[in-house]
Amino acid sequence: MSPLLYCLLLVPLLGLSAGAVGEPLNEPLKPLPAATQQDPQRVELGRQLFNETRLSVNNSLSCASCHHLENGGADDKAFSIGFNGQPVTINTPSVFNASLNFRQFWNGRADTLETQVHTVVQSPSEMGSNWDHVVQTLSADPAYHRAFADAYPDGVTQLNVQNALATYERTLLSYNSRFDQYLKGNTDILTLEEKYGYQRFKDYGCITCHQGVNIGGNMFQKFGVMGDYFKTRGNPTETDLGRYLVTKDEEDRNVFKVPSLRNVAVTAPYFHDGSAKTLEDAVDVMFTFQLGRVPSADDKGLIIQFLKTLTGEWEGKPL
Amino acid sequence: MKMSHRSSLALLGIVALLLASTLLFLYLKSSSNQTSTYTESRYLISRMKQLNAQWETEILKARIDTNHNYDPLVTPLTEMTQLWERFDTMESSHGRNESPVWRASHDAYLGAFEEKSRLVEQFKSHNAVLRNSLAFLPTAEDDIQQPLARLLDSDKLQLQNIATDTYDLLLSGLEFAQVTSDDKAADILVGLNKLSVNKLRLPVQFHRPIDILSNHVALILREQPVVNRLLENIEAIPVAERLDDITDLLNKDQQQAVAIDQRYHFYMLVFSVLLVLLLVYMAIHLMRSFTVINRVNKALQTANDDLEHRVEERTRELKDTQSELLDTARLAGMAEIATNVLHNVGNVLNSVNISADLVSRKLRSSKAQGLGKAMQLINAHPGDLGTFLTQDEKGKLLPGYLNQLVDAIALEQHSMTDELAQLTKSVDHIKDIVATQQSYAGANNLTEPLHISELLEDALRMNSGALTRHHVTVIKEYNDVPQVMGDKHRLLLILINLISNAKYAMSDLSNRPRQMTLGVKIVEDATLQISVKDDGEGIAPENMTRIFAHGFTTRKEGHGFGLHSCALAAIEMNGHLSAHSDGPGKGALFTLQIPLKTVTEQA
Repeated sequence: MSPLLYCLLLVPLLGLSAGAVGEPLNEPLKPLPAATQQDPQRVELGRQLFNETRLSVNNSLSCASCHHLENGGADDKAFSIGFNGQPVTINTPSVFNASLNFRQFWNGRADTLETQVHTVVQSPSEMGSNWDHVVQTLSADPAYHRAFADAYPDGVTQLNVQNALATYERTLLSYNSRFDQYLKGNTDILTLEEKYGYQRFKDYGCITCHQGVNIGGNMFQKFGVMGDYFKTRGNPTETDLGRYLVTKDEEDRNVFKVPSLRNVAVTAPYFHDGSAKTLEDAVDVMFTFQLGRVPSADDKGLIIQFLKTLTGEWEGKPL
Repeated sequence: MKMSHRSSLALLGIVALLLASTLLFLYLKSSSNQTSTYTESRYLISRMKQLNAQWETEILKARIDTNHNYDPLVTPLTEMTQLWERFDTMESSHGRNESPVWRASHDAYLGAFEEKSRLVEQFKSHNAVLRNSLAFLPTAEDDIQQPLARLLDSDKLQLQNIATDTYDLLLSGLEFAQVTSDDKAADILVGLNKLSVNKLRLPVQFHRPIDILSNHVALILREQPVVNRLLENIEAIPVAERLDDITDLLNKDQQQAVAIDQRYHFYMLVFSVLLVLLLVYMAIHLMRSFTVINRVNKALQTANDDLEHRVEERTRELKDTQSELLDTARLAGMAEIATNVLHNVGNVLNSVNISADLVSRKLRSSKAQGLGKAMQLINAHPGDLGTFLTQDEKGKLLPGYLNQLVDAIALEQHSMTDELAQLTKSVDHIKDIVATQQSYAGANNLTEPLHISELLEDALRMNSGALTRHHVTVIKEYNDVPQVMGDKHRLLLILINLISNAKYAMSDLSNRPRQMTLGVKIVEDATLQISVKDDGEGIAPENMTRIFAHGFTTRKEGHGFGLHSCALAAIEMNGHLSAHSDGPGKGALFTLQIPLKTVTEQA
C-alpha cells in the first residue's frame, strides 16, 4: 500500500479517535513550538555538563543542584545554596523553556543562554569558579576530552562548554501541558472551571504581561506598578533594584523580566525574592501591586485552577 | 652553440611565464569575488531593513491594539541580531572592518539598534500597563456607578453629580489616551480631585473602587505621555537610515570595485590585443621561416638524391671490387689448399720414392741375373749336359747353385712384395689426401672406427725410412685405448707431420741418442690425448706463439705450412693442438686433444 494512501486512510481515523481535536485556537497565548534540531552529541555532552559538579570551584554544585529537572527545573528553596554554603540572593528560576525567554536572569542581564552559563560559573556566590580552571579540569578527564573532540572541532574550550550547556538547555521544553493541548484544538481537555479561569486570566489583565509562547518571559515590567511592593514587604535588598543594576537607569528601578508561567504550579516559591510560598500568595501579590484590582474569591480560585493546567511534561512524565 | 640554445630556451620559458602570470593577475583582478559578497551583503541589509519595518509595524499595532502578545516585538530583534552577526562576519572576513568609514557606520548602526531595543523594551513595559488600565477603566467606573445607582438613602442630586464627575473622569482618561495634551491632563487632575472629594461623601464601601479607579486614571495620566514620548523617540532612532548608510557604503564600494574591474578589464583587453599582435607577428615570422625551411628542405632533398645516387654507384663499384676480391681470395684459397695438398702429398711421395728406389735397387742387384749365367753354362753344353752336370767341375756345382738361387729369389720376391704393399699404401694415402681436399668444399669430418695404435703405426711406417736413416729410436707409451670414431685422414695428417717435425728437430743432434716418445691416453674419460715428444732443438719462447701461424718455419726448405694445417685440422675435429717446450735445446712436446668418441658409445 502506498504511503500516501496509507496517510489518507489514517488521517480520518486519527480525527475520529482524537475526538475533539479541532483547529488550533487563535489565542494571545501560544503552544510551545516544535523543538529545533540540535546536534545530539552536543546535547549529550551538555547533559553531562549540566550534572557536572566540577563546574563549581569546590566540586560541590552542578547546574542540576539548583535546577531540579524532576521538580519543575527550579529550586524548592527561596534561595538556593551557593558553592560556599551561603544562600544566593535571588530565587532560582526554572530552566525549563528558558530558551524561549527573551533574556536570561530576573534582571535580563544575559542575552543568551551561553552568557547565562558564563555568568553562573563565574558568580562568586553561585559556582565561584573560573574558566581556566573549568577548561583545565574537563580537559584532564579523558571521557570529556574525547566527547568534546567528537562534538567540536577545537575540543574543550570555554565557548564550547557554554555552547554544549546551552544546546542541552534548548532541548528542555515542557511539552504537552493540558493548556497547550487546549490551544492546539483539544478544547475538551480543560474543565469548565479551567476555561473560566483562563477567561478571568485575560479579563483581569494578567495576560497584559504573561503572554506569548512562554506565557511571560517576553518583556520587562516594574514590580509594583499600582503600589510599592517593596515598602510593604520590607527589608529592601540590592537585588530588589532589578534591572537598575544592569542599566543604572532610574526608569529601570525595581524592573524585572516577567517570568514565564509555564509549570508555575510546581515551581514554588515565587518571585525573585521567593517571598510567595503558594500560588494563592503569588496571585494576591500580583493583583495588589501589578493590577491594582481586587478579584472575587471565586475568580481567584478559577485563575489558580487555570494556572495548574500550564504544567507540562518532561521525559514523558508530568512535572 | 648548445649553451646558447639552452639559455634561449630558458629565456623563452621565462617570457611565457611572465605573460601567463600577467594574464592571470589581470584576470583575478578583473573578476574579484566581491560581487557575490556584495549581493549577499545587500540581501542581509535589506532583510534587516524589512525586519526593522516589521518591528515598527508591530510597535504601532501594540500601541493601538489590545492584542496581548509581544512576541512579535521580540522576534525581529533576535533575527536582526543574527543577520547582523552574519553580515559582520562576512564583511570582516573581507577586511572591511579595518576601514574607519566602515567602522563608523557599523558602530552608528549598532548604537542606534541598541538604543532602539532599549526604548522598545521600555515601550513594552509602559504600553502594557497603560493598555491594561485603559481597558479596565470602563469596568472600574462601572464598579462605582452600579453601587451608586443602588444607593437609595442619599441626596439624589449629589449622587447624580458624583456619577457625572466619575463619568467625566472616565471620559477625560479615555480622551487623554487619544489626545495627550496639557489641557486634558489638567482636566484629569481636576477629575481626580473631584473624585477624592466625592469619596469622602460616600460610604466606606465606595472607597476601594474609587481608589482603584483613581489609581488607574493616575496611571494613564502618568504612562500615556511616557508611551507617547517613547514612541517619538523610537521613531527618531535612525536604524533604517543607518542601514541605508551601510547600503550606500556597500554601493560605493561596489562601484569602486566595478570601476577597478572595468579598468582591469580594459588592461586585459589591451594586453590581449598586444598578445594577438605578438601572435600575428610570430605567425608571419613562422610562415617566413617555413618558406626558408621548405627551400632548404628542397635543396637537401636534391643533395640527398645526388648522394644516394653516388652511394649506389659506389656500392656497385664496391660490389664489383668485392667479387673481384672474392675471386682473388678463392684463388688464394685454392693456392693455399694446393700448397697444403702438395705438401702432404710431397710427404707421402717421399715414402713412395723411397719404396720405388728400394724396389728398383733390389731388382738391379737381383740374384735372378745368376740364373742367366747358369743358363749360359747349360746352353754351352747342349749335347753333353748330363756329363757336364755330373763330370765337369763347374757343372757339378750348378744344381747346388740353382738351389741357392731359388731360395734367394724367393727371399727377394718376398721383400719386394712387402715394399710394393707399402708403396700401394702410400699411393692410397695420396688418394685419400686428394679426396679429403676435394671434400673440403663439401662434406667433411668423415669419421670411421679407428684403432689409434694402428694409426700411429701407419704414421710411423710412412716415416720409417727417414727414421731409420736418422737413427731415431721410437718409444711407445700407449695406454689401453678402445676403438674410437675419428677422421682417419686428419689424424694421420697431424701425426705424420708431428713425427716428421720431431725427426727434423733432432737431425742436428749428435751428442746423444735420438729419442722420440709417442703417447696415447684418455684424459678424464672425455678426451683422447695423443702426444709426440722429442728431445731436439726445442722452441724459443718468442716463437711459441707463432709456431702455428701460416708461413712460420725454422727450416731452410720448409714452407711453414705443416703445423698450421695440423692446428686447423685439430680445430676441425673440435679438438686442439698445443705445443710445449722448456726452451731451445730442451726438446718439445706436441699434444693433440680431441673429444673422445668410443665406438660403443656411437652404437
